[in-house]
Amino acid sequence: MSTVFKNRLTKQIIFYLCILIIWQAVVILKIWPEYIFPSPLKVFQAVLKGFGDFSFVFAILISIKRILIGYGISILIGGALGVLMYKFRTLDETIGSLILGIQTLPSICWLPLALIWFGLNERAIIFVVIMGALFSITMAVDAGFKSIPLIYMQAGRNMGAYSITLLRKVMLPASFPALLLGFKQGWSFAWRSLMAGELLFVSLGLGYLLMVGRELNDMAQVIAVMLVISAISIVIDKLVFGRMEQLVKNRWGYRRKN
Amino acid sequence: MALLSIDIKSRSFQSSTGELSVLKDIHLEVEKGEFICIVGPSGCGKTTFLNIVSGLDHDYEGKIVYKGEFIRRADPKMMLIFQDLGLFPWLSVSQNVEFGLKIKEIPKQEREKKVLEYLEMMQLLKFKDSFLHQLSGGMRQRVALARALVMEPEVLLMDEPFAALDAITRDILHEELQRIWSFTRKTVIFVTHNVREAVCLGDRVLVFSSNPASIKTQFTIDLARPRHIENEGLIARVRPILNELKEELERMENVHRI
Repeated sequence: MSTVFKNRLTKQIIFYLCILIIWQAVVILKIWPEYIFPSPLKVFQAVLKGFGDFSFVFAILISIKRILIGYGISILIGGALGVLMYKFRTLDETIGSLILGIQTLPSICWLPLALIWFGLNERAIIFVVIMGALFSITMAVDAGFKSIPLIYMQAGRNMGAYSITLLRKVMLPASFPALLLGFKQGWSFAWRSLMAGELLFVSLGLGYLLMVGRELNDMAQVIAVMLVISAISIVIDKLVFGRMEQLVKNRWGYRRKN
Repeated sequence: MALLSIDIKSRSFQSSTGELSVLKDIHLEVEKGEFICIVGPSGCGKTTFLNIVSGLDHDYEGKIVYKGEFIRRADPKMMLIFQDLGLFPWLSVSQNVEFGLKIKEIPKQEREKKVLEYLEMMQLLKFKDSFLHQLSGGMRQRVALARALVMEPEVLLMDEPFAALDAITRDILHEELQRIWSFTRKTVIFVTHNVREAVCLGDRVLVFSSNPASIKTQFTIDLARPRHIENEGLIARVRPILNELKEELERMENVHRI
């Protein structure tokens, strides 16, 4: 008995079964009408239907495409800005303080401005996604490079690594744990910004599917889409960032310093 | 002409209390194949001295001439073994040893052969795929030695490399270092605060004074090799050097008292 409960997976299965049972019980008790509180079965059917008629598939592809573009641009610009701030102290003292200020702003606050600049289109959403991730990444690169122990750079130079080679072979790997932290944070900001942005107008992504569900009073679809969104977040967290964190742990052999 | 001609007129640091002079008038001619040990009070600027000789530190007055050429930047011809080693935690043992060869663009086959050869010399073959946190202090020390030796430098600069080790491991590494030196005949500048270690390893022992550092006295050690740190003849040589060092420490204390 006790060995069964020690197993993490078993515990989790039992936990989720309990949630399903309570959920179903609430539905059977008819505390709320079904259109407000759909049954697990209805939600499951909505998931099947969404994948069956490919509406979920398209929405996922569209959202993934947007986040890849937005996040990719954030990495490029943020990486370059971070390196410049690391290299030039004046930039660090000026742009750095500005970024600290801007970073406190939830990135969805950029949407009205983006709509005026770019109109109701793809570019506005991608702009919001970029603003979501950009500053986390910039600051992670700047801080990550600053925290590299001088001795790694000296050792690198002593073995003949200068400029770009030093950056590629020493600075990037040496700051990898810190960069990973910032990139992960940037990703989650970008993903949240994307969903918020897609909610606000006809945009054909996952966020938009949520709004369609609301407009049709189809709670089952709303919950189904929410499940899909969190499933994607979990998969990326585990597969991409989780693996990299494991790699850091294996090599550095400690919990991250910061 | 000497292999390495060191002529440092001065090196000072800017501190909050003004300019702090660390090195002053250090003149030293090093012959090919010579093993030179430097002892001095801790914090006397020995590390700064090695950084300048290796070419990592340029902010000094004077000149370092190696084989008739000025040293302008760090180069694998002179490998510095840092007090804190500066091994790269993101690389495995063999990748750490391979690092400099890769920068040098040595072909893969030759690289692998050399890495194995030096790992074997340092008795690290079993640990070639380990990461640093899996190794003991003595093993890490040997990785650092392998990483420097694999570059086949003409000069080895060693900065208190055995200071953090227990006495037994240190004894073993002394023997290994003497063995390696006996057949490679590298030119070595070895900084330590352990006088016995200096007498055990060096052809010449230089005593540094401090604030600012310069060469106070020189001792020539013509004992037969291999030497053992417990050897009686060796211990007799230690006494006068210790006296010099003690005098220097007392002088420092008096300076501080004033």
